[in-house]
Amino acid sequence: MRAVRWRKVFRDLVGHRFRTVLVVLSIATGIFAVGVVMGGRAILTREFDAEFATSQPKNAAYFTMPFDDQIVRRAAEYPGISAAQGRHSAGYRYTWSGSDAPRSLSVVAYKDYANITVERIVPEEVLSWPPHRGEIVLERAALQTGDYKIGDVLAVETRSGKTENLTVTGFAHDINAFPAQFVGGETGYVSFDTLPDIGAQESFNELLVSMKGANLTLREASLLAASLQRDVLEDSGVAVLGVNVPKPGSHFLGDIFKAVSLLLLALGLLSMLLSGFLVVNTVSALISQQIKQIGIMKAIGGRASQVTWMYLGMVAVYGVLAVILGVPAAQFAGKLFIEYAAGILNFRISSYAVPGWVTALEVVVGLIVPLLAAVVPIRLGTRTSVVRALTNTGVNSAKFGHGLVDRALGLLRGLPRPVALSLRNTFLRKGRLLMTLATLSLASGVVMSVFCVQASIEQSVDDLDAWWRYDAQIRYEQPVDRIGAERVAAGTSGVSAVESWIGAAAVLDRPDGTKNETLNILGMPYDTTFVGPKLLAGRWLEAGDKDAIVVNTDARKAEPSLDVGQRVSLEIGGETSTWHVVGVVTGQLSGPVIYADREVLGSFIGDQSVTQTLLKTETSDPLMQRAALDRAEARLDEGGYRVVGARTQAELRDSIANELGILVWFLWVMAVLLASVGIIGLTGTMSINVIESTREIGVMRAIGAQHISIYQIFITEGLTVGFMSWAIGAAIAYPMSTGLTSLLSGAIGIPLSYRFSWSGVVTWLGVIAVISFAASLAPAFRASQVSVRDAISYE
Amino acid sequence: MSETATPDSVDSTLLRLRGVVKTYDSGDVPFTALKGIDLDVHTGEFVGIIGKSGSGKTTLINMITGIDHPTAGEIVIDGTPVHRLGENDLARWRGRTIGVVFQFFQLLPTLTVLENILLPMDFCHMWLPRERVERAMHLLEQVELADQAYKLPAALSGGQQQRAAIARALANDPPILAADEPTGNLDSKTADAVFGLFERLVEQHKTIIMVTHDNDMAKRVRRALHVTDGEITEERVYRPRHGA
Repeated sequence: MRAVRWRKVFRDLVGHRFRTVLVVLSIATGIFAVGVVMGGRAILTREFDAEFATSQPKNAAYFTMPFDDQIVRRAAEYPGISAAQGRHSAGYRYTWSGSDAPRSLSVVAYKDYANITVERIVPEEVLSWPPHRGEIVLERAALQTGDYKIGDVLAVETRSGKTENLTVTGFAHDINAFPAQFVGGETGYVSFDTLPDIGAQESFNELLVSMKGANLTLREASLLAASLQRDVLEDSGVAVLGVNVPKPGSHFLGDIFKAVSLLLLALGLLSMLLSGFLVVNTVSALISQQIKQIGIMKAIGGRASQVTWMYLGMVAVYGVLAVILGVPAAQFAGKLFIEYAAGILNFRISSYAVPGWVTALEVVVGLIVPLLAAVVPIRLGTRTSVVRALTNTGVNSAKFGHGLVDRALGLLRGLPRPVALSLRNTFLRKGRLLMTLATLSLASGVVMSVFCVQASIEQSVDDLDAWWRYDAQIRYEQPVDRIGAERVAAGTSGVSAVESWIGAAAVLDRPDGTKNETLNILGMPYDTTFVGPKLLAGRWLEAGDKDAIVVNTDARKAEPSLDVGQRVSLEIGGETSTWHVVGVVTGQLSGPVIYADREVLGSFIGDQSVTQTLLKTETSDPLMQRAALDRAEARLDEGGYRVVGARTQAELRDSIANELGILVWFLWVMAVLLASVGIIGLTGTMSINVIESTREIGVMRAIGAQHISIYQIFITEGLTVGFMSWAIGAAIAYPMSTGLTSLLSGAIGIPLSYRFSWSGVVTWLGVIAVISFAASLAPAFRASQVSVRDAISYE
Repeated sequence: MSETATPDSVDSTLLRLRGVVKTYDSGDVPFTALKGIDLDVHTGEFVGIIGKSGSGKTTLINMITGIDHPTAGEIVIDGTPVHRLGENDLARWRGRTIGVVFQFFQLLPTLTVLENILLPMDFCHMWLPRERVERAMHLLEQVELADQAYKLPAALSGGQQQRAAIARALANDPPILAADEPTGNLDSKTADAVFGLFERLVEQHKTIIMVTHDNDMAKRVRRALHVTDGEITEERVYRPRHGA
């Protein structure tokens, strides 16, 4: 380092270690936030897409009566079909040592696990693969719901009422299986010869097909699925009970994933913005501190360009140090974040390699942003005339007292002198105050918005309680006699009322000839007291309705033709009939549903048997409700009513809340990161204020100020900034949170009810007070350590 | 020491100020610190600018060093119209032409004494790099600080810091030294030593312009200009104690 001016740069960096650490941390925080968020988003998207594509996702699934290999071969050879896969799947109940209550189990069996052509499964930790007779390999999402171990025994209730033990021999990953934590039941894979042991036929009852064409549309897929159904399945006499044609290339968690991805993008951009604020603030303060030295250098011959390069060099060193610190830290934390997120979303990460553009972005944030942020303050500093620079005392107190705010502060009477001094000090450096407030207010706004989004999700789940006026639901394996089942269920102790409904799949015939296979129709008494419909348009079901249906908002969103006044053609149980849409009610976070009068629906499908019974219990305690449900289930079992699923509404509520909770988790990650940036910003500002106030501190000490007074002054200043940012944050939280809630609603396709979180606003007030106090403590301590002699001689 | 009414005869005019006015706009009423100063300084002169606090003496020396710009008037130093130079050209010109000495020394705290002296050479690209340290050490020897070269300014006494600042002002061998209250922050013994140093520099044909409010010190310069309310109200020329 031959040039002496670079030695000065080096000495300034080393000599002012606290300041260097603060600036480097500020920049590194920005790199960290951007790296974790953008890197996480890029890797999650890349790995999710890659694994989903490798799994050979289906374009259509048929749920049928039993069929054999010949049908699978015919389907595979059908024009436009690239692969076909037959499998057997069925729902069971099981008990296990790790759970008190019986749980649901979706059992899937393939004939040849080595040659799965659609929705491939990857064994992860298995004793044997494929599973042998009497063994079950669980889909790994089971590990999110219970502490399953190899060797555990699942006691599965068979069709004949017996119990068959299946031994867990490992875990596999199926990206296309519904994760256990979302559906409240596990998925397990067994061999074909295990099927008779659990009362099932050794035959296929599901046909999955993949279609040719990279840019297949939903309409093309629906048309091809319909022709394959007609030409292969129905032509061979295989009855089709249901068809599912998903949007090509979309995963069932795609909407949640899209929402998470959007959130991460928003977080990344906000992080960059806040990091920029932080750097501008810090560099401005640095230049402000150095202004006298700049004046000296210019006085002894230093040109503005030479001095500019010195400070740009200094900022570049800060940037390089921040990149050295921030990039690996972001990579490490990003890996943890990705592992956790992939665990929740149930997909595997084969490579954590950070894309080159993310690293480039981190370097830009670490080097280019600080340099750009530094250009203006450095330019202003080096352009300051020598005489002004030499007479600079850090603060031009002559400027205080002229503005409106200053005069208003001057009018405040009766405040203790140190408090008044703190308040006025806060407004002394208005540019810096503005930057600090911008950073901390934005972070506060985001945190309070997250509280609001969480409250909105809770409100949406609470709305379900208003809809559900029952406590538990029992689903039967086959439709059952209503009167008999209700009599058995009503006789259960703890059950106060029962009602049974008819549930069926409904296929909407669209005017363009395609079909929507994803709708469900529920038949319930028109005057039911078991639901509380919230009407958005039209009316609810009435006595005397002959063909009336009410749809929920999810159904209307999926099919715009399902609107009040429209007549639509529905295929239910193989019969096509015309219905009249009379009303629209809010959705229940359970997808598109159509409601009809039970008697009317029963007469349309020619069967008044019911598929589910709802229970009201005498208690509001979820555990007691579960106990009553278990007793009712046992009585129904004894009475010969085969129950395939039994769940309390509290459990369903928790399950939905868990699914939406993923979004809240990501939102909290976002809020915590931004709050950290804000806290570092406030600490930095307070520290710089202390450094610049050294002379004032000395004067105060000289005239008798004790440690406590110095602490009081700086902590009050920190708290003032904190409370101001809280107030601004609260003001922006409303528009920000309504926008965020609307964004999430759009992304996940579920309308969320908005609720402003006053408790969140109050909670954040408490947190910001603690944060501001903590952020001011270290600078206040430094201030209290300033000796009078040093302070007075401070230049 | 005798007093005369005429300046010593010198061979050439190094510095010429004509009608220099400086008005500050800060505050509600504009304040005129200099009211049309005319001044000539010749090579090898030791000029003292004397006046009370607020008289305009610091403003006057700031005009001469180019640290501040005049509102009106002309300043020509060694043939250069200083009043027409921009900040950048001023910095380069000042580094080579005028060594500035401040009341509060203004050494850069993070550089050693030696490095503080090397810095102006570095800025102005004066001397070959290998010659710079040799020259800086020679200057430190002149101010009797060679043994303090590698210390930081904070480790030096006030007098030592001021001598280091003088050495720094001489780094690029400028013909003029401008000092604003160079002894104002020193005890009388140290101030006397610093003044002695200035006298030796004048003997080496340096031109020194020094602001002071100390009347005793003022009597040791060759030519004293009394500034009152922004105007040169009196000019005295003193005969050197030991003869120049």
